[in-house]
Formats: sequence, C-alpha cells, structure tokens
Amino acid sequence: MWGVRSITRVDICIRFLTKINAMKIIMYFLLIAILFISISSCKEELLINDPGNLVPKTADLDPDIPSVEINGAILHRESFGHPDSTIVLVLHGGPGSDYRYLLRCKALTEYGYKVVFYDQRGTGLSQRFPYSIYNMQIMYDDLSGIIDHYKSHENQKIILLGHSWGAMLATAYINEYPEAIAGVILCEPGGLKWKDVEDYLYRSREIGFFSESLNDAVYMEQFITGKGDEHAILDYKFGLWAAAEEESPIGNEGPLPSWRGGAVTFNALFDTAEKNSPDWTTHLDKFDKEILFVYSESNKAYGSIHAQKVSSAYQKVTLFETKSAGHDMLTFEKGWNNTLPAIISYLNKIN
Amino acid sequence: MKNIIIIITAVLILNTSSTFAQEYNWNSLKDNRKHLLHLTAGLENGIIFGVGYGYQLSSKIPIIIGGEYSLPAGKNLIDDLKTKIGGHIRLIKIHNFCLSAKVQGIYRRYENNLVRMDNFGTYVGGNVGFYSPKLFAALEFGFDKAIVTYFKHGNSYREIYQEAVNGWYQPATGGNYNYGIMAGYSFKKNDLYLRVGKLIAEDFKTDPFVPFYATIGYNYKIK
Repeated sequence: MWGVRSITRVDICIRFLTKINAMKIIMYFLLIAILFISISSCKEELLINDPGNLVPKTADLDPDIPSVEINGAILHRESFGHPDSTIVLVLHGGPGSDYRYLLRCKALTEYGYKVVFYDQRGTGLSQRFPYSIYNMQIMYDDLSGIIDHYKSHENQKIILLGHSWGAMLATAYINEYPEAIAGVILCEPGGLKWKDVEDYLYRSREIGFFSESLNDAVYMEQFITGKGDEHAILDYKFGLWAAAEEESPIGNEGPLPSWRGGAVTFNALFDTAEKNSPDWTTHLDKFDKEILFVYSESNKAYGSIHAQKVSSAYQKVTLFETKSAGHDMLTFEKGWNNTLPAIISYLNKIN
Repeated sequence: MKNIIIIITAVLILNTSSTFAQEYNWNSLKDNRKHLLHLTAGLENGIIFGVGYGYQLSSKIPIIIGGEYSLPAGKNLIDDLKTKIGGHIRLIKIHNFCLSAKVQGIYRRYENNLVRMDNFGTYVGGNVGFYSPKLFAALEFGFDKAIVTYFKHGNSYREIYQEAVNGWYQPATGGNYNYGIMAGYSFKKNDLYLRVGKLIAEDFKTDPFVPFYATIGYNYKIK
C-alpha cells in the first residue's frame, strides 16, 4: 500500500511541472526509483538465501538428515550392508557434487560388501563452511574420520570407489596414506597431476560460443548473484550451471541427480589446485595393490589414450572401458549394468 | 503480491510514456532527426543481439527516450530475453565534453529445463567523455539491479528438490556493476560505436562467469 500512496503523491507533484519537459522527465526518473524501492520494501516476499526455499536445508539445520560429526563438520552420510563386511567407500565427483547420483552403488551390498556414502564437506546436504577453510588436508582428514567411524574391526578392508573428482581425491588420499587402503576403483579422474586435469577440462568444456549451454550458464547472472557466505543462493546457481551441460562432449545420458551443489567447496578446491598445480602421484610407488581404472566409450574428451596416461601412475592397473555410456557410467542403467561385472570381479579378486 | 503487480504495471506504463537510454553522440544529434533506430550485438552476459528505438524530445537539454529488446544466442531463441525502457539525458556540456545520465526499467526472462525466472530491475548509469560531430569517446559506468524475481520451477527441478518454493523473491536478487570505455564514429545519419568493459558483482569481489563485455552498436537517425 505504501507504494500505491507514493504514486499518488508523485503524480500530484508532476502536475505542477507539466509545462517543463526536462523537469517532467527528471520527476519520472525519480518516480521509477521510488517505485522500485517500494517493491523492495514489501514484507511478505520470499528471501533468496533462506535454506529450504530454493535449495534443501543441510544436515546441521535439519536433524532428520542422517549425519555424523567428523572433524568439526556435520556430514550427510548413509551406509548399507553388514557392518563387518569389507567397506566400499564411495567418493562423489565435483568438487561440489553429492553422492545422490552414485546411489546405484548400493547394489554392491548384494555381493557381500558394506557400502558407505557421504557428502563431502560443504557439498550436498553436509554443513557449509567459509571459502578459507578448504584445502586438501581437511578433505583427507574428513575421509579418515569417515573411515574411523565406519570401521568396526582392525582387519576390515577399506576399498575406495571414486568417480571423477572423487577418483582424484581417492588417489590424493592414497598418495598420503598408502597403507590405509586395500584397493581402489577409479572412474574417469580428470587427471592425477594438475596438467592432465587441465588438458581434460579443456577438452570436456568444449562448448560452442553461440550454444544454449553457454547462454544458460552466463545469462542467469543478471538475475541472481551471491556473496561469499550466501551458500544457499550460490549453491542454487551452481545447480543451474551444472544443468547447462547438455551439449558437452562428455557423453552423459542426462543431468545427474543431486541434492544440492556446493559452490564454495568447488571454488575453493579448484582455486587451490590452480594455484598449487598438485601432483598426487609422488608416493604411489608405496602403493603396490592392483587398481581398477574405468573409462567410458561415449566420453569423447577422455578416451583410452588419456586413460592409459593417467592410470600409468599406479603399479598394477586393470583398465576397463564401459561400453554405451559416458562420464555418468555409474548413474544410469546401461552404464551401470555394463560396469558392474568389472567392479565385482575386481572386488572379489582383492577381497 | 497484488501491490507488486500494480507497481510493476505502473512502472512500465510510465516508462513507456517518458524515459529511455542508449549510447549516442550528443554532438551529432539534429533537431530535425528525432527518431533513432538502433542495432547492437556482442558479448554481455552471453552473446546478445538487440534492436531499439529512441525519440529525441524537444527540450533545452538533449533527452532521448525509448526502449530496446535483446536476446541471447542459443538453439532456443524464445526462452531468454531482456527489454529496457527508459531515458538518457545529457546533463552537462563544456565545449566538446559531456556528462550524461541514464535510467532504465528492465524486464527480463530466463528459462532452462529447471526453472523460469521473470525479473524486474533497473539500470542506472552515466557517460563522461569527448563528443565532436564525427568522433566521440567516453568512460561509462553503471549498475544493473535485479530487484524482484519470480521463480517458477519445472518438473526437472522438482525431481531434485520437491519442496522448492515458487514465488516472488526479494529484496534484490542480484546486481552487477559495469565500467568501461565507449568510442564511436558519426557520419551522415549514422553512429557506429564500440563498448568494452568489465562486469563485477555488487560486492565488488565476485566476478561473473564472463566478467567483461564487448558490444558494437549502430544508430540510424531519421526525421
């Protein structure tokens, strides 16, 4: 109502100025400003950064979300299978994605394994933190905390299953703690040295200058921005960006299911890697276990040459190409069915 | 909600009848060429193409009112658009140096497979520079504020987050500053110009995905 009363007041003023064109225009300019301020003053509208409006609440704000406190962070997590079985610990991609798109891995419980999922710090439904808190060590510490939380006996084997960024994190962790892990399945890590990651990202982000994907990613920034600590709106934007990959060469069958992106986690870890050009293979000579390295037929940015180059950092490698699937080979039915036999064969071999 | 619709309608009606802004050579405007047709293309929050119309008012100081319509590239040309209506006024002239200001009301729309956003915003900016009858160059600056946005989520987003709330979101849902340079050449009834500059979010820290703009523009002046 305040806005409507303002219109009336300014209209009365304008009537006195009708013979002076310039003044009239200036008054109209002022009127526009007043009207927009009026819009902003309305009380009942929704707030863009309130968790629960555009994105779901995180585990620290919603006690119904299954979670565990690790290393000072409330992490969203789930586990399936017998507590004493060999653990397959699933590491999602991104950085900044969540484990929802990897839930088909639950099927490994049918083969006698315990499967553990968690959303990494600042992603999915896990607690948010400021940009400055992120580094690789804190990601290692969270992973160690998850292992400690779920390990029920001393001899229980831990096998990491990492997809994309998750495969990079798995390797970085093994590089630091080679004795802690009994085996690893790596699904299309961009690279294990930063130069390889950059080369892969260059190929995988080959999007046309006039494409709908680029337009969708860029155009929305007129509508919504977001400051460093406004996680809800930053994560919402991150989700819209992720949806703009339809014309990407990575061969995904469709958008990946997710709960909520982690924009700050993505920016912080990506910036850190760009700055430090990490090499996560420096101590892999101390890890002599066989690994399974999976790449996909439809990801035109990856291919067998890149797979051989990246996997060569390990001593014993079984390379496997998933037919009829892209980078999302663990998410959709066809890719999963074509990859599962190789995963089971590998797990049974090292268990 | 009802208040907002009334206010937005009022803004659009008043804008249509009074104000506008675009880039012009203030020293090549003629009293007998009041209608200005405008074309633009380039990079500004995407690859964009636009058309516009301006009308030079009969006033002591130059004022041009009008509107423009632009859309970004992409295979679906009708899902995203931006319209602006407003005015551009030359405030100060000292020899060939001019200071001008512009205010525009904005309606824009964005749509992908997850969400449709309808936004009302405003642009406030200015130019200061050298304007001769043929050549002109100026510094430009401005602030584009997305004041209120309606979010309507599609089924694809409901699969991600069932409880997402549709509706008008405010206060201000976004804002970006721009600053840069503009230079052009005027000949006969035509102006041709280039704008380049930087975009930065309202916190003066966050860069947009593409943090710069570069557009070319063309004006044709008729009686």
